[in-house]
Amino acid sequence: MSALRQVMCRSTASLQLYQANRAAAARWASTASTDGGPLDPKTALARPDELEQRNKLSGKITVPTAVNLSPISGVPEEHLRERRVRIHIPPKNAMQSGTDNVNTWQIEFDNRERWENPLMGWASSGDPLSNMNVQFGSQEEAITFCERNGWRWYVDGAEKPKKERVKNYGINFAWNKRTRVSTK
Amino acid sequence: MIRAPLVKALGALGSPTHQMASRAVRTSAMVAQTPAKAPEKIEVFVDDIPVQVAPGTTVLQAAAQIGVEIPRFCYHERLAVAGNCRMCLVEVEKSPKPVAACAMPVMKGWRIKTNSDLTRKAREGVMEFLLMNHPLDCPICDQGGECDLQDQAMAFGSDRSRFTDINYTGKRAVEDKDIGPLVKTIMTRCIHCTRCVRFASEIAGVDDLGTTGRGNDMQIGTYVEKLFLTELSGNVIDLCPVGALTNKPYSFVARPWEIRKVSSIDVLDAVGSNIVVSTRTNEVLRILPRENEDVNEEWLADKSRFACDGLKRQRLVAPMVRMPNGELQAVEWEGALIAVAKAVKAAGGQIAGISGQLADLEAQVALKDLLNRLGSEVVATEQGFIAGGTDNRANYLLNSTIAGLEEADAVLLVGTNPRYEAPLVNTRLRKAYVHNELQIASIGPKIDLSYDHENLGADAALVKDVCSGAHAFSKVLEGAKKPAIIIGADLLERADGAAIHATVAEYCKKLKKPNWNPFNVLQTNAAQVGALDVGYKAGAQTAVKAQPKVLFLLNADAAKVTREQLPKDCFVVYIGSHGDNGASIADAVLPGAAYTEKQAIYVNTEGRPQQTLPGVSPPGMAREDWKILRALSEVVGKPLPYDNLDELRNRVEDVAPHLTRLGHLEPAGDAGAAGAISKSIGGGPIDLKLKELRDYFMTDAISRASPTMAKCISAVNKQQRENEAKQSVAI
Repeated sequence: MSALRQVMCRSTASLQLYQANRAAAARWASTASTDGGPLDPKTALARPDELEQRNKLSGKITVPTAVNLSPISGVPEEHLRERRVRIHIPPKNAMQSGTDNVNTWQIEFDNRERWENPLMGWASSGDPLSNMNVQFGSQEEAITFCERNGWRWYVDGAEKPKKERVKNYGINFAWNKRTRVSTK
Repeated sequence: MIRAPLVKALGALGSPTHQMASRAVRTSAMVAQTPAKAPEKIEVFVDDIPVQVAPGTTVLQAAAQIGVEIPRFCYHERLAVAGNCRMCLVEVEKSPKPVAACAMPVMKGWRIKTNSDLTRKAREGVMEFLLMNHPLDCPICDQGGECDLQDQAMAFGSDRSRFTDINYTGKRAVEDKDIGPLVKTIMTRCIHCTRCVRFASEIAGVDDLGTTGRGNDMQIGTYVEKLFLTELSGNVIDLCPVGALTNKPYSFVARPWEIRKVSSIDVLDAVGSNIVVSTRTNEVLRILPRENEDVNEEWLADKSRFACDGLKRQRLVAPMVRMPNGELQAVEWEGALIAVAKAVKAAGGQIAGISGQLADLEAQVALKDLLNRLGSEVVATEQGFIAGGTDNRANYLLNSTIAGLEEADAVLLVGTNPRYEAPLVNTRLRKAYVHNELQIASIGPKIDLSYDHENLGADAALVKDVCSGAHAFSKVLEGAKKPAIIIGADLLERADGAAIHATVAEYCKKLKKPNWNPFNVLQTNAAQVGALDVGYKAGAQTAVKAQPKVLFLLNADAAKVTREQLPKDCFVVYIGSHGDNGASIADAVLPGAAYTEKQAIYVNTEGRPQQTLPGVSPPGMAREDWKILRALSEVVGKPLPYDNLDELRNRVEDVAPHLTRLGHLEPAGDAGAAGAISKSIGGGPIDLKLKELRDYFMTDAISRASPTMAKCISAVNKQQRENEAKQSVAI
């Protein structure tokens, strides 16, 4: 009897473990994007009930409607009609090797006249949008933002995959190649 | 600089099972993505995250693949690996010492720790040694605010110093070197990364810089006092991770946080280098390169970088009309436009237009539209080209593309000096020479191209020899996988230019390979390809032959047209930014915007349209060129059908749809002019306009107005005088 119980217990324990594993695997499967890309932090940190809610909603269709905030946003007409928004990824500063802050899309308005303020020598501008640099996670988000605000936009540049380079210390000393370094 | 990868952050939160599952999914997905090359790749772990890399990849590159940036000073991805700064030391599990990530290839299963205690300690130690002799002059250093050493000392350095100068010996001090009017040196700040040395010898091909001495006494310099004179010298300023090499004209001008950066395009040569224009209070302060793998990588030629002070000199700030006494007098826009309109109406269709070196595409289209409406078809570019050759786009493009030339293995240069006509095309050729065993020959005068090449001679008849397959170099071209022939644009202005063009085009049909077009014309003017694309005829003489009563000069400053060639009563209208050759012969001057002041399209020598963006506004009463033409059309009574840039771009799209797909390259087909063209090459020596460095600096209205460019020319002359004096002493 005791032996039987032992077996039972063991099997119950292993069954529990199996179920726990399966639950974890299921949770993983429901959260992970199938393409194996990086994990979305919101998904990873969500509680099970949140995920369930999201799953339920995922079956529904949202009908896209053009939203235009410009009539109620209070932005003066001249800054809606005459401005062009440039959607771009900022270039890396040639003077430095770091690449932080240059991997996100951002919007930028057309450049207007600036002048030196005669009082302090600071740079003045009559353009309320000259400092509006907003960063976005993707190009589409930036486009949606511009559309909703009624700005004319254009996308400048595209995300290009980085070229793969072979870096090799040895070719500095190659005996039969032009990469050989003689002076240093 | 170092960003903690997301997955790593999550790993700490998730359960062990979760972690395991996540890893399993991740690796299987990775393998699935790379089916063919999967067995070749090896797996390493960077901060416990698995990465699949090709064998031979360095630790630094493997880390970069997952977004972990390892700090570095000497490593630069476009230069050879030096491995001498030691800043990139990282811990590798089971390795007794930290390894230099920039030079060490990864091995299978390595566990690299980029943020472990050992790694941090190694970085801190290296930083301590670097700062031991680095002056504390950040507040007066031009690099301050965009300095790699400053940033990395903050991120990875220690918070206190252990070096107490008990003997009051002071820090190491090094004498500054005078290496020319462009690069200022403060050698005490140097940390001996040798990036400048490597750039000079690898990219620029000038072995002028080197190191002398060892250890604490090591110095970077030219050893004997001489100027670092190359057309690419400005790039060492960007490369220098500290403030040892800085921009001389820009020194003590501005701080990086005060300036606004505008992404734009350079127009001083036909490469179309991508640039960042730094401005403050409506003034262009400096120009930096912007990375574009297809065009300029991340370099910039000196003229493009330093001629920006020419944008403030010799500017036309008000419309001017020539008075009966022969002097140009400033007037209001209204008066100037009415004066021009009167002349245009009186001319009755006998009007011509010439587009110059710096004209933008929009203005060219507007000028052509205006003239067509007034009943004239005579619009031409200032620079000549072969007659009837502009119908086929491939005839005047660099068809192999700038990036493509890097893969070429045999190149023939005919009547061109890429080193000074397009320095960044020359760096591609040099890159192919170094890394791809490129064989180069040239027909033309003997020139220094910064790499070894065979000069076949200067006689134009040699073109026929090579293209008939009889010449020794023909065998090289025919045996090559990717051969290319590059013709200089100036050569095609010759009387037998058409014959040379036809002969080469014919031969290139034979050399053609799948996905490879060997026929190239290297343009020198930024406006040329765009003008020919929208239907301009080539050559100022086309306009002169028409003997017009009104002649429009759109940025035409090369002095190809003189007053004597035109009818006595011809009314010349100049539209442009600088008071140069064009404005001096004009009866009415309408001040336009320079390339940093307008949003405009320029098409580079490979046919890639790119747009400039306005960094500052045009000075005084100057306006954007197309707006001037639009206003004029209203006064003349034939209004152009576009009121803003978008409408004008739509018009450009109607004329040439490929020119509005900015940044995108539209390949052209085979070169070759329609109709029968005589292939008899007249012979006679081929000459070049830009043979030496001194010829390079001033080639257009902006660089002619630049004081920095003038200083460069006098520095080159001085250097040459000194060399000659030394030689005569030696004799």
